[in-house]
Amino acid sequence: MRTLTTDVLVIGGGATGAGALRDLTLRGIRCALVEKGDLTHGTTGRYHGLLHSGGRYVVKDPQSAEECARENEILRKIMPHCIEDTGGLFVVTPADDESYADRFVAACRRTGVWVEEIPVREALRREPLLNPRIRRAFAVRDGAADSFLATHANADDARRYGAQVLTYHRVVGLERVGDRIIGAVCEDLRSGETVRIHASFTINATGAWAGKIAAMAGLHISVVPGKGTMIAMNHRIVNTVVNRCKMPADGDIIVPIHTVAVLGTTDIAVPDPDVYDITPEEVRLILEEGECLVPGVSRMRALRAWAGVRPLYREQDAGSDRDIPRTYKLLDHETRDGVAGIVSIVGGKWTTYRLMAEHTVDLVAQRLGVTTPCRTADLPVEPLHDSAASAPRSSARTQFAILASPFYMLGHRLAEVEADDSYGDLICECELVTRAHLEAAIRSDGTANLDDLRRDTRLGMGPCQGGFCTYRAAAIWHELRNGTAQAAGAPPATALIGHFLQERWKGVTPTLWGDQLRQERLNELNYLETLAIDRLPATGRDTIVQGRDYVIEEVV
Amino acid sequence: MTIIPEDHIEQSLEQSLDHCIKCNICTAACPVSAVTDLFPGPKYVGPQAQRFRHERQSSPDESVDYCSGCRVCNEVCPTGVRIAELNARARARLAAERGIPLRNRLISRSGLIGRLGAGPHAPLANALLGFKPLRLVIERTLGIAREAPLPAFSRYTFRAWFHRRRAPQTTNGASGRQVVYFHGCSANYYEPWIGKAVVAVLEHNGFEVLLPRQRCCGLPLLSNGDFAAARRAHEANVAFLAPYALRNIPIVGASTSCTLTLKEEAPELLGMQSDAVRAVARQTFDIFEFLRTLYERGELRTDFRPIERTLPYHPPCQLRAHRIGRPAIDVLELIPGLRLVETHASCCGIAGTYGLKVEKYRISMDVGAPLFETVRRSGADLALCDSETCRWQISHGAGVAARHPVEILAEAYGLVT
Amino acid sequence: MRTTIVIGAGLSGLMGALALAEAGLRPLLLAKGQGATHWTAGTIDVWGADERSPREALQTIITSRPGHPYALIGVHAVEEAITRFRALTEAARYPYVGGLERNVLLPTAAGALRPAALLPVTMAAGDVRLGGEMLIAGFRELRDFYPPFIAANLAAQGIAARGVYLTMPPAFRRREYTTVTFARMFDDPAFRSEIGRQLRAQRGNATRIGLPAVLGLRDPLEVVAHMQNESGAQVFEIPTLPPSVPGIRLFTLFQQAIERAGGRLQIGSEVIRGEGQDRRLTTIWSEAAARQQEHRVERVLLATGGIAGGGIRTDHAGIVRETALDLPVRAPANRADWFAPRFLDPHGHAIYTAGVATDAHLRPLGAADEVIYDNVAVAGAALGGADTVRERSRSGVSLATGWAAGRILAGLVS
Repeated sequence: MRTLTTDVLVIGGGATGAGALRDLTLRGIRCALVEKGDLTHGTTGRYHGLLHSGGRYVVKDPQSAEECARENEILRKIMPHCIEDTGGLFVVTPADDESYADRFVAACRRTGVWVEEIPVREALRREPLLNPRIRRAFAVRDGAADSFLATHANADDARRYGAQVLTYHRVVGLERVGDRIIGAVCEDLRSGETVRIHASFTINATGAWAGKIAAMAGLHISVVPGKGTMIAMNHRIVNTVVNRCKMPADGDIIVPIHTVAVLGTTDIAVPDPDVYDITPEEVRLILEEGECLVPGVSRMRALRAWAGVRPLYREQDAGSDRDIPRTYKLLDHETRDGVAGIVSIVGGKWTTYRLMAEHTVDLVAQRLGVTTPCRTADLPVEPLHDSAASAPRSSARTQFAILASPFYMLGHRLAEVEADDSYGDLICECELVTRAHLEAAIRSDGTANLDDLRRDTRLGMGPCQGGFCTYRAAAIWHELRNGTAQAAGAPPATALIGHFLQERWKGVTPTLWGDQLRQERLNELNYLETLAIDRLPATGRDTIVQGRDYVIEEVV
Repeated sequence: MTIIPEDHIEQSLEQSLDHCIKCNICTAACPVSAVTDLFPGPKYVGPQAQRFRHERQSSPDESVDYCSGCRVCNEVCPTGVRIAELNARARARLAAERGIPLRNRLISRSGLIGRLGAGPHAPLANALLGFKPLRLVIERTLGIAREAPLPAFSRYTFRAWFHRRRAPQTTNGASGRQVVYFHGCSANYYEPWIGKAVVAVLEHNGFEVLLPRQRCCGLPLLSNGDFAAARRAHEANVAFLAPYALRNIPIVGASTSCTLTLKEEAPELLGMQSDAVRAVARQTFDIFEFLRTLYERGELRTDFRPIERTLPYHPPCQLRAHRIGRPAIDVLELIPGLRLVETHASCCGIAGTYGLKVEKYRISMDVGAPLFETVRRSGADLALCDSETCRWQISHGAGVAARHPVEILAEAYGLVT
Repeated sequence: MRTTIVIGAGLSGLMGALALAEAGLRPLLLAKGQGATHWTAGTIDVWGADERSPREALQTIITSRPGHPYALIGVHAVEEAITRFRALTEAARYPYVGGLERNVLLPTAAGALRPAALLPVTMAAGDVRLGGEMLIAGFRELRDFYPPFIAANLAAQGIAARGVYLTMPPAFRRREYTTVTFARMFDDPAFRSEIGRQLRAQRGNATRIGLPAVLGLRDPLEVVAHMQNESGAQVFEIPTLPPSVPGIRLFTLFQQAIERAGGRLQIGSEVIRGEGQDRRLTTIWSEAAARQQEHRVERVLLATGGIAGGGIRTDHAGIVRETALDLPVRAPANRADWFAPRFLDPHGHAIYTAGVATDAHLRPLGAADEVIYDNVAVAGAALGGADTVRERSRSGVSLATGWAAGRILAGLVS
C-alpha cells in the first residue's frame, strides 16, 4: 500500500475537478486529483461540446444564462486554443411557436446574453443545409469547445505548479474520523495497489457520481443522473451551432465540433450513472427533430450515438428533469450535514466549470486560511506542448492563414499536416493523427488503453471508427511499451485491439445502417478475414484485464 | 408504396464524402500519386480533407493543386464518392483565395489562343512556338514547360471551312434529321480535319449538320479553378445551344472533354441547374456514343471498306468519365479487318493543361510513361484516342502519330476529308 | 451489341464473366468501381469456421443447410471452379496451391493463424506446419505492417519468430508509401537487391522470411525468387489491410483473361435499375453522365456483393434492398435483431446474412419461392443465407457461385 499526503484532494477528473485543481495550485495550495478512469472519462468526455452563449436558458433559467454569458467570454480569453468560434443561431422553424422568439429576445436583453436578429436569407447563406422554411433567425455567441483538450490543459497547468494527477485511481472509501473527512482510500486500477491519500480537505467533483462518493462518507446527496443522448454525423453538416428557438427540449440543437456535427440531446433520468442504454426511440426522436433544422439529416451518414449523464442536483421535487435548474450548487457538508473537510460541487455545465471551480476553491481556501484570490479568470491556460506541435516548422508554415488563429479552427490539423508534409505519417487517416502525435500520447503515462489515446488524439473518431487505425495504434503501442521486454503469453496490445473495437462497436450500433454499416462490414473483413484477430489468444475476452500499464474494462 | 432508395437521392458533391469507407482503392489507382509524392492521393485530398474544409474560412491545404483532374479515382471508387469534383472545387477555392497565375489564365483560354494563332498567319505562329530558345524564354517567364506538347495552329478554321463549303447533299434525301455539331477549340483552330470527318460521317448517315455559335466549353477554366470565367462560358454555350436542345436536336461532339463538360462538369461544379442547362446536358452526345445508338436502332450505315489493321486505342480519362463504355470500339469493330487493342493505361498524363505547367511537366510524362510504352510496343505507327490533348501527349511521348477514331471511320466509309 | 451482362467486379463477377466469355457470349461486365478483390487477402477460403477440412465441411453443409450457397451448387461445382481457377492462375504465372483436402494456416499481419484452402504460391512458405524459425521483416514506412507485433503474437502461439524493420534505401525515400508504392518498388530489381542484402544480414537462424504482401505487381514469382536468392531463406508474403496487392494481381489477371476471351469490363458504371416481363429481364440501366445508359439484355449475372460490396443496402428505417435490380431480399425482419452486442461475436451479426434467395439454378426467388427472372443468376455475397466472413468461406463461395452462375447462364449446366 502506498500513502501520500496533500492538502486538498480533488475527486473527479472532469472539467470541474481539473479546473479546481488548477485553481488550487494558482493559490499555492498543495493538491492532488484522483480519477477512476482517464481524464474526461465521465460526462466531460461525453457531451456535445457546446460553449453556451446562454441563449438556451434565457427564458427558463435566467441565472444559468447569465453565468454562461459571462463564462463564455472568459473561456474565450483564457483558452482560445480549446475553443472554436463557430457562432450560434437560434432559428424559428415551422414547427415552433412563433411567440417564443420575442420572449427570447427580451430575456436575452435582461440576462446580458448577446443576440442579434439576422435576415433568414443571411442565415441560409451561412448554413445552406438549414431548413429553408425557417421564419426568423438570431445570432448568438455560441461556440464549440474541445473538452478533452481543455481538461488536459487545466490538469497539465496544475501539474506544472506541483499538483499530482492520479488517473485510474478509483476511490473505494473516504476516511472519516469523527465528523471530519481526512482523505480517501483508492485502488490503483493498473497495479491493483491500494493507495491511501491523506488530505485536509476533499472536493467531491464527481458530477453524476457525486451521490455515490458522498455516500461513502455517510452523506446523502440527491443527484439525478440525467442521460443525454447525442448522435455524431460523419461531417460538419453545419458550421454554426444551430438551436431551435423554443423552450429547451429534446433534439433541438446541432453542434459542429471538430470534423463532426452532433445532434442532441435527450434527457432521461436514469437510476445509475454507470448503467444505461441508448434506445431506438431516442435515436428516432433525435433524427426526427433534426429534420426540422436540416431536412434530410436522417439520410446522411451518422457515425455513432452516445450518452452522457448530467449531474442534475435536486433540492426538492421538480416536475421533470428538464425542470431542474441547470445552475450549479456547492454543498458545504460542514454546514449542511455537520461533516467537515469535504465539499461537493454538483449541477452546472461545461461552460461554467471555471466558475464552479472558483466558487468551490473560494470556500476551501477560506477553510484553510488561504487568502490568495482566484486568478483563473485572467490567467490563460497554457496550450499543451506535444512533441509534434513543438517541432520546428518550415517557413512554409505561414502560408496557411488558419495556423495564425488563436482560436481552434476546423482546418487546423489539415493545415499542420500540409505545412509539415506529414501526410505519410498519418496513423488515423480520418482524423489526421500522425505517428508523432500518437507516440507522444502512448509515451505519456496517463494512457492505459486505446480509448485513452482516442481522447488524447481523436484516434478512431472519424468515419472508419477504428477500422484501420486500431491495428496500427495497437502495434505501435506494442513497440513502444512491450517491444523490448518480451514477456510470455500474448502481448497486451492484442487485447487492446479487441477492447477498442468493442468500444467503437458499442457506439456505432444504435445508428448503424447505410454507409456506416458498409464501413463496419469492411472493418470485419479487415479484422476477421485479413488479420484474423479473433483467432489470437487474448482477444474477445470478456474479463477485466489489469496489467502493469494498461487497463481493459468490459465494454458492453 | 414507392421507396426512394437513399443513395439515389441527389446528394450534393460535398456530401458524397459520406460514402467513403477509407478503402484507399482510389489511392492505389491514382496515376499521379504513383509517380510523385507531392500529391498525397485522392482519398487524402478528397473525402478526407473535405471534412476539414470550412466554407467560410481560408483553405487549409494546397497539395490538392497537384490533382490532375483525370478522374481515375471516380472510376474505381466502389462507393460513389465524387472525388474529382471535390478536388476541383477545392482547387477553385485556392484559386479564389490566392489568385490565378497569369500562366494559368493564359493556357485555360484555349478559345482566345486559338483565335490569335489560327488563320493564314499560322505558319509564323507555329514557327515561333517551335523555336526552342523562345520556348525557353516562355518557360522562364510564364512557367509553360518548354518540352510540353503544343499543337500546331491551323491555317484555316473549321468554322470558316464549314461556312465556305458547297451546300451539303444528304445522301438519304431530306430526312429532316438534324444534329448540332459542337466542335470545340481543337477542331476549330488546330485540327479542322477532325471536324470535317465528323461532318462527313454525320452527313453520310443522313443528318443535316447545324453549326450554331459556340464558345470554349470552359473545361480548362474549370480545371484551373477559374469558376467565374467558366460560368460565363457555359452560360453563353447554353444560350447558343438550348434552343436546339429544347427541340430535341442532339448536340454531338468529338472532343470527349467538351462533351463531358456540357453534360456534367459545368452544371455540377458550378451548381447550374436551369431547365436550359439540363436540356443541353441531356442532348449532348459523344460522336461514337451517338453512332452506337444509331447502330442499335439499325440506323447506322455499315457500308465500310475493310481496313486490315490492328491499332492501339487509348480511351481517354474524359471519355471514361462519361461512363458509357467504349463506344469507339463498339462502332469501329464493325469495320471489317480493323482491330483495336485497348491500352489499359489509366492516363496519358497531360490532363488538359496540367502537363503544360513547368512544375508538372515531369509528373505528366511519368504518368504517361506506361501508355507510351504500350503504344511503342504495339509496333503500330498510329494510335487512336478520342481526346485532342491526349493525342498530342501520346505523339509527344510515344513518338507515333495519334488520330481520332472518327478519322478512321470516315476513311472506312470512303469519305475523303 | 453485348447482351450478356455481369454486374459486379468482385471475385464472383470476374469468375462468372470468365465462364461466360469462354462460352463465347462476349459478356460486358459493369461495376460501380473496383471492389472486394482489393479489400482482402487474396487467398481462396473455402471453409474455416472449425477444424474440419474444407471438403468435409462442404459435404455436411450440403446436406444440413439447404439454403447455403454451397448447398445450392454442390461440391462438384466448387471443385470445377477451383480447377478452372488454378489453371487460370497457372497460365498467368501466378499459381495458386492447395485444395479442398486441408486448410493451410498462414500468419496474418496481426500474427494470428488464418486458414486458407488455396493460396498464391508467394504465400506458401508461410504455412506454419512447415516448421522452422520465421523472420518477419517490414518497413517503418508502411503503416500497415508491424513485424515486432506479428512476431510477438506468433511467439505467444509457440511459433519461433523474430520481427525486424529494414532500412529504406535512400534512392527510394519519399513522403508517403502505400502497399502499391511498395509493390512498384519491388518490381524494380535494384530495390530488391538492396532489400535482399539486408535480409541476408538479418536472417540469423531463420529458415523463412515473412514480408508484407507487396512483392511486386508485374511478376511476383520473379520477385520472390530474387529475394530468396539474395537472402538465402524461403520468402513468403503476409497479406495487409486494403488496398491488397494480391487482390489487385487477381483483378488484373482476370481482366486480361476475360478480355482475351472476348469479354469486356466497364468499371465506373453502376447498374441502378432493371425492367422485364414474363420472368425475363429485358433491360437494365447504368448510371452515366447526364443520362442513364440503357442495356438490352439476354442474360444477367448479378454479382454486386453484400453489405460491404454495396449489392445489399440498408437504411435508417430498417429497409434492406438489393441495389441493382431491386430483387426481393431475405433479411432479419426487425432492426433490433441485426446486431449482436459484441463486435467479435463468434456467431456474427444477423444482418450480414441478408441477401437474395435463389433456386438451384441461382435464379432469384420471391417471398413465396417463385422465380423472379429466368435469365438472371445471382452469385457471391449478394446471395443470402450465410455470414461467409464468420465462416471464413467468403472467397470460396464467391469463386464457386460465380463460376456456377456463369456456366448456368451459358446453358452449360442442365
